[in-house]
Amino acid sequence: MKIVVCIKQVPATGADKRYTDDLRLDRASAEAIINPLDEYAIEQALRLADDGVADVITYLTMGPESASEALRRALAMGGDDAVLVSDPGLAGSDEWVTARVLAAALDRLAPDVALMGMASDDARGSLVPGAVAAMRDVPLLSYGAELRVAGNEARVRRLSSDGFDWIAAPLPVVASLTDQVGEPRYASLKGIMAAKRKPLETWTLADLGLSAAELHGGALTRVTGARPPEAKPPAERVENVTPTEAAARIADWMAARKLI
Amino acid sequence: MSTNDILFLAEFDAGQATRSALELAAGAAALAAQSGGEAVALAYGPGAADGAAGLGAHGAARCVVLGDERRPAVVHAPAATAVAREGALALLAPATPNGRDLAAALVGSLGLPAFGPVRAVRLVDGTLETEQATLQGAVITTSRPNEGAPSPSVVLVLANTFTPIEGGTGSAAVSTAPTDDGESGLARATIAESQPAEATVVNLEEATVIVAGGRGVGSQEGFGVLQELADVLGGAVGASRAAADAGWVPYQLQIGQTGKVVKPSLYIAVGISGAIQHRVGMQSAEHVIAINRDPDAPIGEFADLFVVGDLFGVVPALTDELRRRRGE
Ligand SMILES: Cc1cc2nc3c(=O)[nH]c(=O)nc-3n(C[C@H](O)[C@H](O)[C@H](O)COP(=O)(O)OP(=O)(O)OC[C@H]3O[C@@H](n4cnc5c(N)ncnc54)[C@H](O)[C@@H]3O)c2cc1C
Repeated sequence: MKIVVCIKQVPATGADKRYTDDLRLDRASAEAIINPLDEYAIEQALRLADDGVADVITYLTMGPESASEALRRALAMGGDDAVLVSDPGLAGSDEWVTARVLAAALDRLAPDVALMGMASDDARGSLVPGAVAAMRDVPLLSYGAELRVAGNEARVRRLSSDGFDWIAAPLPVVASLTDQVGEPRYASLKGIMAAKRKPLETWTLADLGLSAAELHGGALTRVTGARPPEAKPPAERVENVTPTEAAARIADWMAARKLI
Repeated sequence: MSTNDILFLAEFDAGQATRSALELAAGAAALAAQSGGEAVALAYGPGAADGAAGLGAHGAARCVVLGDERRPAVVHAPAATAVAREGALALLAPATPNGRDLAAALVGSLGLPAFGPVRAVRLVDGTLETEQATLQGAVITTSRPNEGAPSPSVVLVLANTFTPIEGGTGSAAVSTAPTDDGESGLARATIAESQPAEATVVNLEEATVIVAGGRGVGSQEGFGVLQELADVLGGAVGASRAAADAGWVPYQLQIGQTGKVVKPSLYIAVGISGAIQHRVGMQSAEHVIAINRDPDAPIGEFADLFVVGDLFGVVPALTDELRRRRGE
C-alpha cells in the first residue's frame, strides 16, 4: 500500500506576517514550518507504516525551492521519499491551481491513500482536498478525527451535527484529517540524519505535462487589497474587585451595549 | 439558468433547513437583486425535497433538489456541478465542513475561482468582491476573480454574515437535479455507521450569545456553572480545544481553527488563554468579554472587556446579578 502525504510550508504560527507591496504573502519575513495540521496527517501515515499497513510513504509539496526544507523535516519524522513541485509559473497560486498541480502529481505517484491536513494555517479555505478528489475522480473522506485503512477500504470517523459518522469508501481515496487523530511525533536525531539521504525529487510543470497558460497564469483569483484589521481600542479592565462588584460592572457594560 | 444568477448551497438536517441555508438565501437574494438574476438554492440533506419550496419565503426564487437522503454531502457534487455548469455569477457555500467539501468539489470539477471564508461579499460594478481575514487574522484582504476566469465564483461564507429574511411568504419553484451519479468517484463514499450523541448538541453557529469555557473551567461540573450563565442570556456554551480534549464537552462545541468558526454578537471567554488557534474561531464576534485570573493572558489583547478574577467567583455572581436585574 502506498501513501502520499501532501504537505505545505507555511510561516510559523504566531510569526509576524505581512503582505508585500504587490499583494503577495511575504514569505521571506517569517520562519517557515510544516503546516501544523499536516503533521497530524504525517503521523497517521507513519502509524499505518508502523502497523504494517503502508509499505511506502511519499511526501508531496508544491512551493518554492526552499519548501524542500519542509520535505526534509517530514522525512526526518519517517517515511521514504519526497517530491517537490516547483516552477516559476506557480508563484502566487490559488486553491484551484494548487489542487490542479497536486492532482497531476498524484496521478503520477498513484497512491492508494492521499492524506492531507484539514486546513492550512495561512489560507483556511480547506478546499484543496475536495478539489483534488474531484479532479482525480476518487472519493473524499474529509475531516477525519480517526483513520482506518484495511483491505480495499478506507474509513474516517467524522463529527456529525450531534454525534459522529464513520464514512467509508473503496481505495484509492483522498482523506483530510483533523488534530483529533493523535499528536505528531518529534523527529529523532537518527531520523534527521537519515532524512538527508532519502530521495527528494523536484518536478516542474513541464514534468507534469502542465503549462502556465492552462493554469491561467497561476491563479483564477487575485488579492486586490490588504489592510490591517480594524484597530480595537484596548480592553476595558475590571480588576482588584470582589466577584459581586465585578458582576455589577459586567452587567452595566452589557446594558450600555444593549446586550441585556 | 442565467449567468447573472446567484446559486447557494442549502443544507437540510433532520427535516429542516439549517440556519446557514436561510442566511445564504438572504445573501444570494441581495446579490441577485444587484446582478439582475435570481437566487437559486441547491438543496440537499434530510428534508430537502419537502422543504425546498419553503426557501422561497427566505429569498430563493428557485430551488434545485440535489438529494434528500442522509449521505455525505460531497456525494451531491456531480448534481451540483451539472447545475453550476449551466452558468451563474456566484455560488455561496457555508464555511462548514459539508459546505466546504461541496464547494471544493465544484472548484475541482469545473476549475472555478474560490474565495474565503469571507466575512463580506458584494458586487462592485458587476464584479464580485470578497473580504476575508487572512493570515490568522493579521490582515484583512479583498479579492476578485481574475479577468476571464470561469464562473460561477465559489464563495465560502462565514456564519452570521447575512441575516435571514423572516416573515416572507413566497414559494420557490422546485426542480430535481438528475441523480445519475453512479459514474462519479466522489459518489462512492457512504455513511457506514452512525453514532448519535447522548444528549442533543447545540449548533453554535446559530447562537447569538456564546459563553465559552477553557481549561480553567476544570471539569464537566464547571461547565454546568457556565451553562447557567448561558441560560440566563439565552445563549449557548462553547469551549476551547483543551476543554473538548479533556472530555468536559463534546467536540461539536469546540471553537477555533479545527472547531467551529462563530460570529455571535456576544462572546464571553471564561478560563481561556486566547491561543491563536482559538482566536481564529471567534475573532469576528461583535463584543468579547474575557474572564481570566491571569492579568497577562493573551485573550486580554483582543477582548473588549477584560475581567481579572477567579471564574468560580465571577461567573455565578454574574448569573445572579443578571437574574436580579430581571427581577427574578
Ligand atoms: C493544529 C492545532 C489546532 C488547534 N485548534 C484549536 C481550536 O480549534 N480551538 C482551540 O481552542 N484550540 C486549538 N488548539 C489549541 C490551542 O493552541 C491552545 O492549546 C488551546 O486553545 C488552549 O486552551 P485553553 O485556553 O482552554 O487552555 P490554556 O491555554 O491552558 O488556558 C487556560 C486559561 O484559564 C485561566 N484560568 C485557569 N483557572 C482559572 C480560574 N479559576 N479562573 C479564571 N481563569 C482561570 C488561565 O489563566 C489560562 O489563561 C489547536 C492547536 C493546534 C496545534
